[in-house]
Amino acid sequence: MTGAVYAGIDVGSSATKCVVLDENGLLVGHHVAASGFDYGEAAERALEHALLRAGSPRESIAGCVSTGYGRQSVSTADRQVTEITCHARGAREWYPQVRQVIDIGGQDTKIIRLTSEGRLAEYRMNAKCAAGTGTFLESIALKLGVTMQELDELAMKSRGDTVMNSYCTVFTGTEVIERVKEGQACEDISMGLFRSIAMRVSEMLSARTGPVSATGGVAAHCRALIRALEEVLETEVFLPPMPQHAGAYGAALIAWESKAEERSAAGHVAQG
Amino acid sequence: MSTAVKRVEIKSQKKLRELLREHFVDLDAAARDPDRKVAWCTSVGPCEILTALGFEVYFPENHGALLGARKVSHRLIPRAVGLGYSAESCSYMTSDIGASLADASPLKEAFGISGPPKPDLLVYNTNQCREVQEWWSYFGRRSGAPVMGVTPPPHLGTVTAEHVGFVRGLLVKLIADIEVAFGRKLSEDRLEEVVAQSSRASRLWREVLNTARSRPAPISFFDGVIHMAPVILLRGSHRAIEYYEALRAEMKERVARGIGAVPDERFRVYWEGMPIWPKVRELSEKFFDLSTAVAASTYCNSWAFEEYDGGDPLAWMARISTEVFINRDEATKEAFLGEMFERFSIDGAIFHNARTCPNNTNSRFGMPQRIRERYELPVLVIDGDLSDVRFFSTAQTMTNIEAFIEQLEDRAR
Repeated sequence: MTGAVYAGIDVGSSATKCVVLDENGLLVGHHVAASGFDYGEAAERALEHALLRAGSPRESIAGCVSTGYGRQSVSTADRQVTEITCHARGAREWYPQVRQVIDIGGQDTKIIRLTSEGRLAEYRMNAKCAAGTGTFLESIALKLGVTMQELDELAMKSRGDTVMNSYCTVFTGTEVIERVKEGQACEDISMGLFRSIAMRVSEMLSARTGPVSATGGVAAHCRALIRALEEVLETEVFLPPMPQHAGAYGAALIAWESKAEERSAAGHVAQG
Repeated sequence: MSTAVKRVEIKSQKKLRELLREHFVDLDAAARDPDRKVAWCTSVGPCEILTALGFEVYFPENHGALLGARKVSHRLIPRAVGLGYSAESCSYMTSDIGASLADASPLKEAFGISGPPKPDLLVYNTNQCREVQEWWSYFGRRSGAPVMGVTPPPHLGTVTAEHVGFVRGLLVKLIADIEVAFGRKLSEDRLEEVVAQSSRASRLWREVLNTARSRPAPISFFDGVIHMAPVILLRGSHRAIEYYEALRAEMKERVARGIGAVPDERFRVYWEGMPIWPKVRELSEKFFDLSTAVAASTYCNSWAFEEYDGGDPLAWMARISTEVFINRDEATKEAFLGEMFERFSIDGAIFHNARTCPNNTNSRFGMPQRIRERYELPVLVIDGDLSDVRFFSTAQTMTNIEAFIEQLEDRAR
């Protein structure tokens, strides 16, 4: 590909995501890399792979927006935008009718409410606590000696309605052990963990209006989370084609739109 | 911090440092002088009575704020928690108790004194919270000094003549108790004089804050939390009046010359709740970089009282201390905030959910949501604490604030 491209890079606490759009705003490349200790390096790696996939050289980047907790570490970016705005933008592109975006990341959960025009109406993040985040699940999966994928598979087999009594990562870990001792099925316990996240999310929703979309790495990899959210929120949850890339996609769209605005402004000036 | 636009410092800051030095050095001397008595008082407590009775007045909440601002609270709080004070109770109280146990005080390095002055008397008003009663009681037990207090009816809507009469009665009893305990007699003329001076300083402070109605705002919340020291610590004295006359003149000059606290001001935000003392500088720089002025706050306005127009000074004291925002019901608070948003042309409001200060946190009963709908104003709630930095996440808060400004930008399009 030889035309101009636009990149969005979302540097999260666990993973760094990159999306590349062509000059028409179409998604032509993407990549996920582990964030590790060096956010700048992770961003470069994700960008390099996404460009490779798009078949575009680095010189073709006409705009780049970074987002996520490591957004300041991306030297290629010409602008930083928060992940709140970017996730909302990405989700809205896939589902224009969506009014609530639930982004569950490694270290935080964001609830974003949009107006009918797609503008940011309100947002909330978890307080300084891991309850309801990807770290909550990772930590307990580690304690149980299973992978996140195995935890998800177990949960999807559950037919029970187990609910955990605590949102706290530490106390839920203890509760899981107690329930195993009581002889509860590990499938039901696993599903209870996803319900715990869904219930925490339900507390953060100020209004239960309009279609809901889930984004982020946990939504991307855990079908049980979507099932738990639909059950607790009593509504269908739209899962975008690339949930983990929603923030990077939104960032890339913002980069693309900024250039479009610039071109439009330049056109007006030229016309006098 | 942005280098493109320079912050124009407030010149009165130098005078403020001198004033505070004089104040604390004198308090230290008073605590050592057997002929002088030191009374501890809450920040919206009956300090005018204490001054009129000849006490030197010390305000421990200022020390709590100082411990927070110097980022040492979280190291001192565990000592108070060990004594049975919950880590989720007032971090001013727990850090001050901890500081006392550790014999630590920023006053030592700042002013070369031995620390907070030992109390001869401790006087509180629970108009702000009941925690002050427990805080004062701790130091009363330790020092052996008497603890006396005023307990007005809380969470009021309209403050009636009956409420004022009741609180006035409490003040009369307080005076009688102090007179008996210390063998002193209150001069009504002196009280009237102190109240008049207190009211004058308070009025000038209000006028200083009101200059922020101009665009750009010449003074921000982050300046306000520093420059409000005299209206608390020196209330009832000529020094406070002189200070605010000069500060008001400086603010008027800044307005005339178009000097803003944030020079390239794009948005104007309201701060509801306590400051986050350990992060005041970082937050100030974040808003500066975002070209956003925190133009008004409930906190700084808490010492901008209704004016004393002569008459019964005790009735004035009863009224202003009962009418304070923190002592009002939700509906009254919401109406006050609405007036402030309009008066200061506010684009968005930030509520600070201070973990250890439920009484001065207004995001726990749905107020931000009601404000958002009633005034059609973007509202953000941030989690933190007045002093205990362990309840604050820098990355989360800064992202929240940046997203809030993105929301304001989107709205402005």
